[in-house]
Amino acid sequence: MKRGLNLSMKNRTFLTTLILFLLAFNLGISIIAILTLQETVERAKERGLREHYIIVSALVKDFNAVQSREVSIEDNLQLLLQPYNYFTGEKKTGFAFLKGKQTIYSNRMGDVTLDNLTAPPENGDRLVTLRKSGENSYVIVTGHLPKPYDQYTMVYLYDTTSSISSWNNMKNTLFAVGLILSILLASCLLLLLNRLFKPLAMISQTSRNIAAGAYQTRLQVSGSDELAEMAHSFNNMADEIQRQMEALTESAEQKQRFVDNFAHELRTPLTAIHGYAEYLQRAAISQEDRLDALGYILSECRHIQGMSCQLLELAKLRNDIVQFEPINTANLFLTLKQSLMVKLEEKQINLSLSCETDTIYGDACLLENLLVNLLDNAIKACDNGGQIVLRAYQENGHAVISVQDNGKGMNEEVLQHITEPFYRAEKSRNRKDGGAGLGLAICKQICESHNAVLEFYSHLGKGTISKITFTIT
Amino acid sequence: MASILIVEDETAINELIKRNLQLVGHHCVSVYNGKAAVDELGRHAYDLVILDIMLPELDGFEVFKQQSETPTIFLTARSSLSDRIKGFSMGADDYLTKPFEMLELLARVEAVLRRTQKTNSCFESGDVLVDFNSRQVFYKGVPVECTPKEFELLEVLVNNRNIALSRDKLLELAWGYDYEGDSRTIDVHIQKLRKKLGWEDMIKTVYKLGYRLEVKG
Repeated sequence: MKRGLNLSMKNRTFLTTLILFLLAFNLGISIIAILTLQETVERAKERGLREHYIIVSALVKDFNAVQSREVSIEDNLQLLLQPYNYFTGEKKTGFAFLKGKQTIYSNRMGDVTLDNLTAPPENGDRLVTLRKSGENSYVIVTGHLPKPYDQYTMVYLYDTTSSISSWNNMKNTLFAVGLILSILLASCLLLLLNRLFKPLAMISQTSRNIAAGAYQTRLQVSGSDELAEMAHSFNNMADEIQRQMEALTESAEQKQRFVDNFAHELRTPLTAIHGYAEYLQRAAISQEDRLDALGYILSECRHIQGMSCQLLELAKLRNDIVQFEPINTANLFLTLKQSLMVKLEEKQINLSLSCETDTIYGDACLLENLLVNLLDNAIKACDNGGQIVLRAYQENGHAVISVQDNGKGMNEEVLQHITEPFYRAEKSRNRKDGGAGLGLAICKQICESHNAVLEFYSHLGKGTISKITFTIT
Repeated sequence: MASILIVEDETAINELIKRNLQLVGHHCVSVYNGKAAVDELGRHAYDLVILDIMLPELDGFEVFKQQSETPTIFLTARSSLSDRIKGFSMGADDYLTKPFEMLELLARVEAVLRRTQKTNSCFESGDVLVDFNSRQVFYKGVPVECTPKEFELLEVLVNNRNIALSRDKLLELAWGYDYEGDSRTIDVHIQKLRKKLGWEDMIKTVYKLGYRLEVKG
């Protein structure tokens, strides 16, 4: 549909331009032709008049001379007019001499007949007429001789056939050249329009591709004209669409993973609870076995409860607004070290504290929770006798807290997902390390509530750095 | 009866499977990761492996690739078709999806063992000996006359010993799904079995549930 419109638009432009051009061009040629014709005729008229005048004035002189010798003019008329035959030796002219209405002499008048139309006015002016006779055309000049010979009329004829035919040739040549030029112009115009409309067709094709889901399709940008600029903007738009689509897809995938993981996280404790309940109901077992089974059921229930608490906390963190209050980092770090002492001693891990910045702003409880989580992960990542550094410092004017361990580290793929709820680096999702898999999701949420950025840098086998950058001071 | 290796990283579930299988007289060993499973299978011969797919270190499929001669039931929380197809195409004997019913687990284990084991199809307890191959029952060495349904009920009770079964479940297992009988039929047959085998104390009536064959050890 769009393509059809483009084509018809191209055709319309082509036809309109072509017709306008042809009109203007042919009008021009016609005007030139007409003007040339007029000039040719005018020139023929002038020449006719001039020669008519020469002959008439010469005749009058002759007549005067003849009359002074008192000889009759009419008797000698043939003789008198004879020389002008030579004058009109050129085959293009002829003349006739009339007395009253009667032709008394005629030379090479062709098939021209003299009639009332060629009769000169009585006031002595000369009359010029154009006459067409068969293939030929003529300029005819008629006029009375001056007094006292005004009973005579001199008719001069000038044959314009050749001039007209040369004009005709010129006109035909002009139109032929015009036709060739028009064809040339039409093809050039078509080429130009094709060139001009090609980007439109390309844009149309590309947008259809993008609409069909091929978001990576782009226009080729060449040159720096308006078209290139438009292609550039178009590509920017496509970039933006692609980026947003990817973000949407990623967020949808993340949600799907959350649901999948949540279902899985529920399934394991439910399997155990269901299984042990059935075991209690059906099996013939000792009191001791019965207590064991009840113990498993209770611990799995606690696990589900913990999970639901953490999910609630996550939801609560999303909605709550954090109260920012100054926190002394040294005190915070000491509290953390004390509360983690048991775990640290269990694995003989050395936790060193470094306070280069005194105060950070935030919710003490939440920040403690956040750091306990990060330290807990660091402890889990470390082997016995590992090393953990907890640091508070300033970087680019922002307060930063970092937790660095020399544990097992993570690969790129794991790093990308660790803050997703229920994500576990180990594919088997072992729960032996404890926790519902929501720890880092909560950490991330706490950071977001504090307008802080949580980043992880890790190398397999070398350890991990968790870095919290506070953007509000 | 059979020695079974349980490979499952969740302690609670591993223990649950172990306890259930021990009830019906199987000998069970628990391991908690793929590597230990491969080691254990290399060290001892097992009649059956119950293998979780998602395991630390080596996953279930990897373990199976290395030890595929032992009959295997895959166990997983993932009920995805692709996983099941992968398991079966690799030659697994059966598949169990979490959460599973106790009786389903026992039935599948029993079915796989029956398919893969030709021998060891006798059950002995006290004065009673049941030969499942010849479908004969002996009480104090003397053959006991049993109707086919009585024998099937006896087989169900023995296979699910120490586990209480409802009358409906017994009907379903011994008579089949399409049997439209009265659950009183069960009571009648149970009485007959108790009398014929001297099992008045062995087949217990469980309040509000059904019957349970109780065998020590």
